[in-house]
Amino acid sequence: MPGESDALNILGLKYRYPAADTRSAKPGWVVDVASLALKPGEQMLLTGGSGRGKSTLLYLTAGLMEPAEGEVRVAGASVGALHGAARDLFRGRHIGMIFQTFNLLQGFSAAENVMAALMFTELPPREHRVKAESLLRHLGIERFDAEPERMSVGQQQRIAVARAVACDPVLVLADEPTASLDPENAAAAMDLIQSICREKNAALLCVSHDPTMASRFSRRASLDDLRDRT
Amino acid sequence: MALTDFTIIRRSMTARLFSTVTTVITVAVAVALMLVLLSMRDAGERAFERGSGNMHLLISRDSSPMVSVLNGVFYANAPARPIRWDEYERLTASLPLEFAVPVQLGDSYRGMPVLATTTEFFTKFRPDPVEGWSLAEGRIFEKELEVVVGATAARSTGLRVGDILYVTHGVGSAGAAAAHVHKEYAFTVVGVLKPTGSSHDRALFIDLNSTWILHAHDRRIAENRGPDSLAPLTVADIEEPDRLITGIYVRVITREGQDASAALPQVFSMLRADPSITAAAPTDQIRRLFAIVSNIDQIFVAMAAVVMVSSGIAIMLALYNSMEQRRRQIAVLRVLGCSRPRVFGLVVTESAILGVLGAALGVATAYAGGLIVAAVLKERLGLVIEPSLPLEITLVVVLATVALASAAGIIPAVMAYRTSVARSLRPIG
Repeated sequence: MPGESDALNILGLKYRYPAADTRSAKPGWVVDVASLALKPGEQMLLTGGSGRGKSTLLYLTAGLMEPAEGEVRVAGASVGALHGAARDLFRGRHIGMIFQTFNLLQGFSAAENVMAALMFTELPPREHRVKAESLLRHLGIERFDAEPERMSVGQQQRIAVARAVACDPVLVLADEPTASLDPENAAAAMDLIQSICREKNAALLCVSHDPTMASRFSRRASLDDLRDRT
Repeated sequence: MALTDFTIIRRSMTARLFSTVTTVITVAVAVALMLVLLSMRDAGERAFERGSGNMHLLISRDSSPMVSVLNGVFYANAPARPIRWDEYERLTASLPLEFAVPVQLGDSYRGMPVLATTTEFFTKFRPDPVEGWSLAEGRIFEKELEVVVGATAARSTGLRVGDILYVTHGVGSAGAAAAHVHKEYAFTVVGVLKPTGSSHDRALFIDLNSTWILHAHDRRIAENRGPDSLAPLTVADIEEPDRLITGIYVRVITREGQDASAALPQVFSMLRADPSITAAAPTDQIRRLFAIVSNIDQIFVAMAAVVMVSSGIAIMLALYNSMEQRRRQIAVLRVLGCSRPRVFGLVVTESAILGVLGAALGVATAYAGGLIVAAVLKERLGLVIEPSLPLEITLVVVLATVALASAAGIIPAVMAYRTSVARSLRPIG
């Protein structure tokens, strides 16, 4: 039985593209996860080829897409039961996301990118900058007021990681976090992501098709493994 | 400082600085145009409402009440047909009048009208319903050959107390009554008036006896009385045919502190029954004049409104075009916890801020533009319009602009609201 103490709990989650969408040429469920649970601080790697719904699973988990069936619980709360602004706020306070392309805010400094994540938390505004800067410093970024576009990709990914964990999330969702990086930077980025999640006791669900990632995670599964076979 | 919605809006605006600046200028031009038109209309109406002041009726021999007011109050032309002094006395003797100030137009100084009247013009008549005359320097004329100069006239001629001037008698450039300067009679400036904001500021004022002396002088030349006729004349030389006026400013007796008079309709209809004179109620005539003119300026205001709507469309286009670039930013904010309504609010607020900036720049431009237009009107037409932006009009226009700008932001905001996070964050390529 899923424990209330689980960081993430997915049950019978199914999704397919709307019929109008051209990609629905591929019939069947794009996402079909019978059951998946992560304990606080637990780290898991999900593999699968591209176009197999890995990213979609993450957006469903974050409540940014609506599943056809099933339920996602984060820290015991049903994401599907939350609506509108309440769900957005819940995501902002409990879930961090890391992307392949970083998705940093253009025209905003490194510190501001991290502070953007704090805007939606309960932290008093006057503490935002201090928290953002200490987090960046902790992750090896000292040029708080520089724009990320002027930094190396490795540094950009660090800012993105800082932003994802700024809200002290229960769950961090990482979508191909190393796909834009060279092997050396990729290893460093994964070290960083995994260690900061451990430090913050945040569960980490990482999707990737990078084979070198496997050795980093004790818990692994392919999307096919998770399918409902009943 | 924490990051706020306002910071995000500001960055969005500075990231597309060129678009932001051009949009703001577009709005500013529309707002300025609207404000200048509205305030000019307002100021124009006020300028015309002044002038007749506390007078109830104007009596003259002009062809119509409208012409009578334009001539008698606004100095459009010198009335051609005079009223004899005995007629003035007969007309005003039996009526319950608070004042009946005789005025005579026909003299001029360097193109500016010289109004001959009595001291009652300054003591009883007021150019503004509330405020009376006040002197910048000197005093009111007390006898013949003394001049009091209106504020605008003083400014454009540079006349000061103690200066000497020569009045031009008659109008036009040909015939027996052709304009000619009377070098024989040196007038002394004894007073300069403070501005009243009325047509009277453009005039110079002399005693009726002064112009009658000039008239007597011309009459004697015409009668060819010989060399002695050219000697400077005095009040004693004025004869009955010289005593002519062109208008009478009339106020019917009222109760203390009241402008309306119960006797006015009766007096008005009595005067109108006399076919030899024209009796006009200046306020009615001015209202009629503006009823005619307002059709035209309604078209102007409608055009300005169209320009304002266009500026709203400019805002919408600018934001609409920016949406494609901003989808990713919006999606990121959504991931970080920003709700759809808040995203909507960000875009509408940005739109409203463009409106506020445009309105502020527009008000500043209109103020400067108003000064310029007023200067041109004064220069070209001698029309005194105080370039003021009435607070009410400004507020209404500013609020309308902000409302319009906010409305213009709705379509881009809906786009932002509907932005699909998953699609917008998909890796490029």
